[in-house]
Parts: sequence; structure tokens; C-alpha cells
Amino acid sequence: MQKAFLVDGSICLGCNTCAMACKNQYHQDQGVTWRKVREIGAEDYLIDNNNILPTLTSYQKAPKVSMPMERFYFSLACNHCENPACVAICPVGAHTKDPETGICKHDQSICIGCGGCVKACPFGASKFNTKMGRAEKCSMCWERQEEGKTTACVQSCPVHAITIIDLHDPKYKALRSDPIGIDYAIDAETKPSTRFIHPFMPKEIYRQAKG
Amino acid sequence: MSYSKAKVEEILNNTISRRSFLKGLAASGVLSALPGGVLEANEDLNTKIPYSGEKSYQTFRNACPRNCYDTCSIKTYVKDGVMQFIEGATESTYTRGGCCVKGNSYVKRVYSARRLKYPMMQVGGKGSGTWKRISWDQAIDIIAKKLLEMKKEDGTLLGAALTKYSGNFGITHYGIEGMFNSIGYTTRLAGTPCWPAGIDAQNLDMGDMWCNDPEEMKDSKFIILWGVNPAANSIHSMKYIYEAKRKGAKVVVIDPIFTETASKSSQYVQIKTGTDGLLALGMAKIIIDAKLHDQKWLDANTKGYKEYKAYLDKEVKLDDVSNVTGIPLAMIKELALSFAKAKPATIWMGYGMQRHTNGGSMIRAIDALVAVSGNIGKYAGGARYGHLNTWGFNYAALSQAKPEGSVGYSGPEGAKGEFAQVGGEKAAYTDRFLNINKTARELMSAKEPKVRLLWVACKNVFAQDFDRNQLIRAFQQLDLVVVADQFFNETAKWADIVLPVTTQFEEYDVNVSYWHYWLSINEQAIKPLFEIKSDLEIAAMLSKRMNQLQAGSCTFPQSVDTKEMTIKEFNPAIYEQFGIQSWEELKKGPVKAKAVIPFADGKFKTPSGKFELYSDKAQELFGSALPKYLEVRQPYDKFRMTSPHSRWSLHSQFQNLEWMEDFHPEPFVYINPDDAEAKMVSSDDMVAVFNRQGVLRLRAKVTDNVQKGTVLMYEQHYHNSIYNVNELVDDTSSDMGAFKTGAPGVALHDTFVNFKKL
Ligand code: SF4
Ligand code: SF4
Ligand code: SF4
Ligand code: SF4
Repeated sequence: MQKAFLVDGSICLGCNTCAMACKNQYHQDQGVTWRKVREIGAEDYLIDNNNILPTLTSYQKAPKVSMPMERFYFSLACNHCENPACVAICPVGAHTKDPETGICKHDQSICIGCGGCVKACPFGASKFNTKMGRAEKCSMCWERQEEGKTTACVQSCPVHAITIIDLHDPKYKALRSDPIGIDYAIDAETKPSTRFIHPFMPKEIYRQAKG
Repeated sequence: MSYSKAKVEEILNNTISRRSFLKGLAASGVLSALPGGVLEANEDLNTKIPYSGEKSYQTFRNACPRNCYDTCSIKTYVKDGVMQFIEGATESTYTRGGCCVKGNSYVKRVYSARRLKYPMMQVGGKGSGTWKRISWDQAIDIIAKKLLEMKKEDGTLLGAALTKYSGNFGITHYGIEGMFNSIGYTTRLAGTPCWPAGIDAQNLDMGDMWCNDPEEMKDSKFIILWGVNPAANSIHSMKYIYEAKRKGAKVVVIDPIFTETASKSSQYVQIKTGTDGLLALGMAKIIIDAKLHDQKWLDANTKGYKEYKAYLDKEVKLDDVSNVTGIPLAMIKELALSFAKAKPATIWMGYGMQRHTNGGSMIRAIDALVAVSGNIGKYAGGARYGHLNTWGFNYAALSQAKPEGSVGYSGPEGAKGEFAQVGGEKAAYTDRFLNINKTARELMSAKEPKVRLLWVACKNVFAQDFDRNQLIRAFQQLDLVVVADQFFNETAKWADIVLPVTTQFEEYDVNVSYWHYWLSINEQAIKPLFEIKSDLEIAAMLSKRMNQLQAGSCTFPQSVDTKEMTIKEFNPAIYEQFGIQSWEELKKGPVKAKAVIPFADGKFKTPSGKFELYSDKAQELFGSALPKYLEVRQPYDKFRMTSPHSRWSLHSQFQNLEWMEDFHPEPFVYINPDDAEAKMVSSDDMVAVFNRQGVLRLRAKVTDNVQKGTVLMYEQHYHNSIYNVNELVDDTSSDMGAFKTGAPGVALHDTFVNFKKL
């Protein structure tokens, strides 16, 4: 099994309920957000003050698109990669990949704050908490899932624009692994598990004539 | 492990012991139970709190009491007396397990370091910034003595004014008005800045403002979202709209702005601002000409169809409709005919549209369009605006007797507001009503007696009222301004005394929505922090002190329990409507009112008992019996400024929180590319936006989400920022509102500005 987020950009409202639900559940310090609702067309990692992405340039980025400002989004957190760089690089085993669910967990109590994962993750998913001098990231609410609940972000989304799927289920085979219009390392060797449904503009749009 | 309230307070008040307290918790393993990050713990401590399993928490039922369509039912998780996290109630099919970005920030709101903690007095004078902490006894004593002194000097208490609005829409919060009722006849800032023109319009047409259950929209075949943006402001409604769309319904958004909702629609139609009424009239004409109107329903259920049709025939020219609205005629025809053919079809009208000088007339025109199409009184149909159908509580906290011998105002009585129209007894005197939408002006001009004391509750006057510069003058001439709030906001800065009030998690209450049909109990989940008290407790303290100073001078109970006050709000009719035996059942989760289709029985509470296309009342009050097209206010500056609600805040609430700053740190002005080019402005430039009312400086975003000739700034209020879009808004009235809410609304979106690059 490989649990994964399926994010549906065609219905996502950009309401940020999911991202705040995560803070509500775990109380990330001000300045740290594990889930970010990324704006298509406008956003790049530079504005995310918590990301250190020296490696990003060596990855192929998703194609740029021109869509209306502040209207289309992908809600992203850790990609729970099949081949996670964070797990590979962590010298103390704070990052682990659950063999059963495929969830990439981070145990902050073991973390020594070396920042290796923050640098190694091609997606800026592992965050550095400067107040604590340790890393932190989305662990797919594994404690909640173990209890039969869904994740805080999924439960909170008013339109089911994020769902959790098992990537190894053949019915999800055709889903796209590449987003559009956001900085995202689409060919990363870490094999991110997140899947995307692309947004589209309304079929009919009428705007007032100029002049 | 648990701590007494006194102990926790002592610790939180003292930085050093707070640190050791948190460390102590870490050592004892309880830290995981304490939101270290939330309490601003020292940086050595782990701020991540894990989810420790459903059974490890105590849970409570709450509700979001803000002025929001969604009024979410909340489940609150508490451990060792500390709120850990919240979830939307899963029992409500409307809330469906989740709140919004604002609701999900509640834990931070409760434990924010920015919260007001103690009563304070601005000893250096209003706006001086020199504050002193005072005790509750001192604060209440000053206020009580001032009231009694005024009563002695003026012979009445009309010099005492209350301004309260939508900061907390919980039913027991009408106890704040109750507090003012209980001291005598006083002055009230009456009316509503929110939705009054539309309320009047719907009452004139249908004798009530009453909308179908939003959950029915899933079965609508055609949905017009007219000037409403649920994707940002009623996110829980979107699932029904999506479901309808998935089942093949057409979802059309008519809006001057390409909104979040427009981006998810089947068709977006950009209209010239303030011309919606004419579009509705034109569509009705097209439908009638094509014989697609519901003649049978109109004959049986309307008054004045003949006059209305004659007006359409004679005065409404389709070419004019197209020119004025800026929408091609072919598109209008297509839209009208497909709307008329789909059954059931519905129109949801937003509150922005009626914030124009012709706002009420536009809502009337759209109501008429829905009537013509035969969709009034139908499942999944309806002219949706809002409703107060589930608000039939006792208003026990509100209803307080006047002290014996009270002297008041003997002028004509106006309505008191849209929610709690409790009245009945015709007394010799009444309260004095001032127009809430002209607060500054009215506070200054009220005479005999002049206003000397102002009590502000559930309201941030400086954020939500208009013309800040006048407001400062008005506040400065008052003897005593009391502000009861949770945060040290702009209004508090112009107060003499601030009183810290509880969040909904620290008190009992009961909540319903003006949109959906669910009922939630709001339990006290945690003890009030610091010295914070509920509005009701404050009223009780005031009553106790006033009675000590002068027996019989205040009738409010001298001690209250918010739970007991909440129980008193229930009655058999509420139980019947919601199908419960007792309020205690609500502890198991929210319940929904029994389904009723508004006006399905063809009974309207209008004078004629019918849907009034022709209304004598409208003729009498507003000079037009028919929903005639009325031209919108003429520009007085270069660009129209529109100030809709943002997804990040509810009026002046939420945007000020630390967590919200992580997602949305600063305001922007949105400018159309053509206008930006003419002014040589690009995205991220700092610009000044100004008019005769004031000036704001902020960063620009260039986007064709706004149409040429219009700039958009959200109504938002930041921590430590003077940004306030209402600084640019004058207090020009909308056409309607005085009929049902006591005062006309404000034509907020008829504001005009200019801008330049800085
Ligand atoms: S996205 Fe980054 S942090 Fe998450 S599993 Fe992949 S490499 Fe690790
Ligand atoms: S799965 Fe849990 S930890 Fe991950 S982003 Fe969602 S709420 Fe946060
Ligand atoms: S994923 Fe859902 S909750 Fe998150 S922004 Fe999109 S619609 Fe809102
Ligand atoms: S602000 Fe509205 S949508 Fe958000 S939690 Fe409150 S009621 Fe729900």
C-alpha cells in the first residue's frame, strides 16, 4: 500500500481550511505550515520563507500557465514519496517510512535539527522550526488514521478536494503525477505519491468589453 | 493532572513561572497535553502536539457565532482544561466535519497573546495609549456611577448609548441589549450595516425574508449565483452547488467580479456594477414574451402582475438592457430562456448587491424574475437571500423590565433591528434610535440630552462604521466610552475603559443560522482565561453595583450563569420545529429543523396575502410600487471601489490572529490591467488609494478579476495596522432598510476613489 493525497484543482476553492486544520491539530508555530495551498500561476517557492531549496533548480519544474490570479490552487503537504530523500538522509532515523501504509513519518523527539531533510526534500515539505531548532512535517495524521479517522485536512475540506488514495490500487493508475503552474519537481527521484486533477476555466466566460 | 483556575492564571500571568510550569509539564509528560506553541512557550520546548486518541480528550459542543452564513456546529477537544483542537460536527450534514480557515484558527484565538486579559483604563485620555490595569470592581463602579449621575442630571438615561452588532450572534448575547433595557430608556444605534435593503425588498414582495434550505440546491436544475461568492464566504454551500453541477445543472455566476465562485461555475457573466435590477427585468420580459412564464402560478399567487407586465412592455427596452448592463442581448436571451426552461431553478442573491443606492430595488427585480419563472414555493427553487425562520427563541436575556419610573423618548418608535423584534407593550416612552450606519454623525448631533456614554459590544466601530475621521471626533466628545471585546482593536484604542470578554468556548449559548436550518448548543468547554468575563456576567455585575448605589436602578439579574440563561431561551415551539424534547439532546450534536418549503402553500405575509409585484407599501415608503429600475449613484471620483468580504476574515475578526498572518499577511488593492497600465502600476508596487474621505497605502495586484474602472480592496483588519477600507467609504444610504430594520443600509459599493503609484 502507498497512501497518497489526491488533490483536485478543479474544485479546490483555495479556502485554506485544510492548511489551517493542520495548524489547529498540531499547533505549528507562527511561520511554520505543513500544508500550503499553492496558487496556480503566481506562486513560487521563494515566497515561502520556510523553505530552503538549493536543490530545486536541478529538477524539471511543472509548466507555467496563465490563469486568473487567486482562483486556482493545489493544496500540498508532504508527498509521502515512495523513495523519500528525507528518510535516506536523516542520520538519526527521525524520518521513517511505514512499510504498511507508505506514510513518511517524522518523529520530532528524535530529530537533532541537522536540517538535512529540509535541504534534501525537493518539495520544501520538511520545514525547519527555528524556534525549536528541529525539523517538522506532515506525517499524514497517522495517529488519527490508526484510530480510523481521516486526516485533519481531509476531514475539514468542504468540497472533498483532497482525498487519500492507495496509489497501488490499479484504479488510480491513470492519475497524473504532475501539476501545472506551481514550482514542483515533477521528475524527482523521490517518486512523490501526490496525484493531481488539473483545474480548468468555466466553459463560458463573458467579460465586459474594454473602453 | 489538572490545575485549578487560579493556579493556571497565576502561572500565565508570570513569565518566569509560566516557563517553569511548562517545563514541569514536559517533565511529567503532560506537555503533550498543553499547546506549548499556543501558550507561547519558551523555545526549548516541543511545540508539536500529537493527536493522542479520541478517548484521551473531553469533548464539548460549540458553534461558530460569527456573522457567517455557515454558523458551523463545532466539536471541541479539551485535555486538562486546555483546548487542543476543534472539528466541525459530523452530525450536521451542512457543516460535515469541517469549519473554515477562520474556524480552524479558534484555538489560537482563545490562547492568543494578543487577547485582552484584564479590565483596563486609558488614564491618559482617549487615543493616548497610556493604559492602567484596573480591577473589575473599579471598572464597574466608574460606569455605574456615571450612569446614575447622568440620570440625575438629565432626568433620563437617554445620554447612554449602546452600539452592538454581529460580533457574536449567539442568542444570549441579546442580553447586552437586555442590560441596556434594564437600566431605563436609553439610546441605541439601530439598523444594520449588513443586509437591510434586501430584507425590506423581500418583505415588500413576500411579507417575509425566508429562503429554501441550501442543502436542496443539490437538486436544482439551474442555479444563478447572483452577486454572491460562497466559495469564499459560505464554503459549506459549495458542495451542494457542485453536486447539482455534477448532475447536469447549469451554474451561472452574475457578478462584476470574476470571483472564486465564478471560477468554478459553468458560465460567468460579468455585469456592470449596479445594473443587475435592469438585467432581471429584461430577463423577465424575455421569458414572458416567449410565453415561458408560469401564468397559472402568477394568476393564483401574485398581486399586480398586470401592472408589472405593462411596465416591462412599456419601459423596459431590451437594447437598453444590453447597453446598460454591458451584456450582449443574445447572451441575455439565452440565459433567460434556459433559466425559464429548467425546473426547479433557483437564484441566490448576495448581500453586496443591495449595498448600493438602488440595492433594494435590484433585489425586488430579481425576486420578481424568480416569481415569473414559477420557482417560488418550490423544492430546490426559490429567491434565496436569507431567513430568520429558526430564530424563534424567548430572548429571555433581552427582555428586561425598565426600572420603575423610567423616563424616555417620546418620539415615534422605530424597529430595533432585524433579529430580535421583541416588543409588544406600547409604553409612553421608548428608547431613542440613532442610525447605526451614520454612527459618527448621529453621536455628535443627538441633543436633549446629548450622548455622553457609549457602550460598545460585539462590534468594532472603527473597523465597521464609516468615516473614521468623524468617528474620532465623535468619540472624543463623549464622557465615557466602554468597549467590551476580546482584542485590543482600533475601537479599544479610542475607549476610556476596556472590558475583556469571553470567547464562545468559555461560556454557554445557543446558535442558529440565517442561511441553513441547523441548531447547535454552545457549551462551556474551558474556564474563562485570566480575568475574562462574559457579556452577561458583566451586565450582572453592573446591576449589582447600580443597585448598591441606588436600589431599584437596574432590573438585570445580579448574578447569572450563562448555562441557565441559555436554557431559558428554549420554548416548546423551538422543540417542535427541531423535533427534540429538551435542549439536552443537543449535547449529542446539532439538529435540523423539520423541512418546510417556504411559500409552498401560497401564503405570503404581505397586506394582500400574495406575492406583491405591485406593493402599496413600497409606494408609500420608497416611492415605487413596482420593482422599477433605478439608476445607481453617479461617480464622484475616477474609479469605483468595491470592498467585498475576504475568505480570511469575518468583518474585523480573525485576520488579526497570528496563524492567519501565516497565510495572508497583508492587504492588497486589485486593479484591472488597463487601469494599471494607464497609471503605470504593476503588481507589487505600493500605491495610494484616495478620495475625499481618506487615503490608504498598500500594495497592488494587477488582475482582470476586476473590471476596468473598478478597484477592489477587501474588508479586513490586521493586527497593528491602520489599514481599513471603510476609511474611504462615506455613509451614503442605500434605498431601503428603514421598513424592517429601523434604518436604511449603506451604499458601500458606491464608493469612488482615485489611485497613484507611490
Ligand atoms: S516530500 Fe520531502 S519530506 Fe515528504 S517524503 Fe518526499 S522527500 Fe520526504
Ligand atoms: S495529513 Fe495531517 S499532518 Fe498532513 S497536512 Fe493534513 S492535517 Fe497536516
Ligand atoms: S483543498 Fe479543500 S480545504 Fe484546502 S483549499 Fe482546497 S477546497 Fe479548501
Ligand atoms: S466563520 Fe463561518 S464557515 Fe467559518 S467556522 Fe465560522 S461559521 Fe463556519
